[in-house]
Amino acid sequence: MTIAADAGGRDVVEPWIQAASPSHLTLLDPELAVASLYNVRNVPSAFWIDESRRIVRANDPIYVLRRDRATGETSRNETYLNAVRDWVANGSSSKFVADEAALEKRMPPASFSDMEAMASFELGVYLIRRGAPTSAERHFDRARQLAPDNWTFRRQAWSLSGATQETIIRAIRDPAAPAFYPELDLGD
Amino acid sequence: MAGPATDSPVTVIFDGKAATTSRAQVRGDDVWLMLDELPSATAWELKPEGVCRGETCVPLSPSQKAAVLGDEKTPNWFNVSEFARLIEEPVAIDQQERVWYFGPPGWEWKSRSAGNAAPDFTAPDLAGEQHSLRELRGKKMLLLFWASW
Repeated sequence: MTIAADAGGRDVVEPWIQAASPSHLTLLDPELAVASLYNVRNVPSAFWIDESRRIVRANDPIYVLRRDRATGETSRNETYLNAVRDWVANGSSSKFVADEAALEKRMPPASFSDMEAMASFELGVYLIRRGAPTSAERHFDRARQLAPDNWTFRRQAWSLSGATQETIIRAIRDPAAPAFYPELDLGD
Repeated sequence: MAGPATDSPVTVIFDGKAATTSRAQVRGDDVWLMLDELPSATAWELKPEGVCRGETCVPLSPSQKAAVLGDEKTPNWFNVSEFARLIEEPVAIDQQERVWYFGPPGWEWKSRSAGNAAPDFTAPDLAGEQHSLRELRGKKMLLLFWASW
């Protein structure tokens, strides 16, 4: 199942879904509410959920296609895909099933300031839709101060406010900025 | 605070739904609504047993009652911001645009990461049909979040 955590909603995500024409469920999350529920701090981010609805891997930063910086060639991320195949075949005895400490780290309980960040972000999105982008910026700023590692909020805000590529790259490369993606730790 | 407010309209957002009213009072960072508008604007209503939404009721102690309902000079007013503090809802305010955004109550967001159970959710597909995680029990699932930006 895929979830489009995108405030652009149907208009923006439909062409992508049509182009991929997937056989799995593709759901929309225009308020980023499901993403917040799962503590998603950037996209793409993947979870494994087992038959009894328990999370066995959380918030893995995965691109199925990887681009080699040197050659510019794209290839499938076989390392991750093999881990998925292993879990499908072996279930809870797969070595790729995360332990509790790893899960806790990837999906810590929400704090009140996380929730305040979400409220500020949502208010910003509402104000953009209402035609008050200057006011929206105040709340996007507050969301960033409260949850500096939440790149989902920051990237969505950049998209809505039409931030330049230069602004975005500078923010991402800022040495003081929190990591853009966590490590994909497959334990091997 | 007696009598209808004459301030410019105020928007309150509960559960992601915005309601705009010209019968609201702003005191500092707190917003007060009239009791008769409370259910339509917030889905909460004042009942003898407390402040209720569906099956959920929050009883108020005398001091909480005094803070949420004010005094005899304000018989029909309800301090939405005070109530939100009481039930640990995160709030975001824009005084200039006169918008108050209220997030979920504490008992909802605190239960979100309890154990390793995948939080249930309901979301629409492209055709507008709603799906929930609950329906997919019994299958392994790879859940992938993405965005166009």
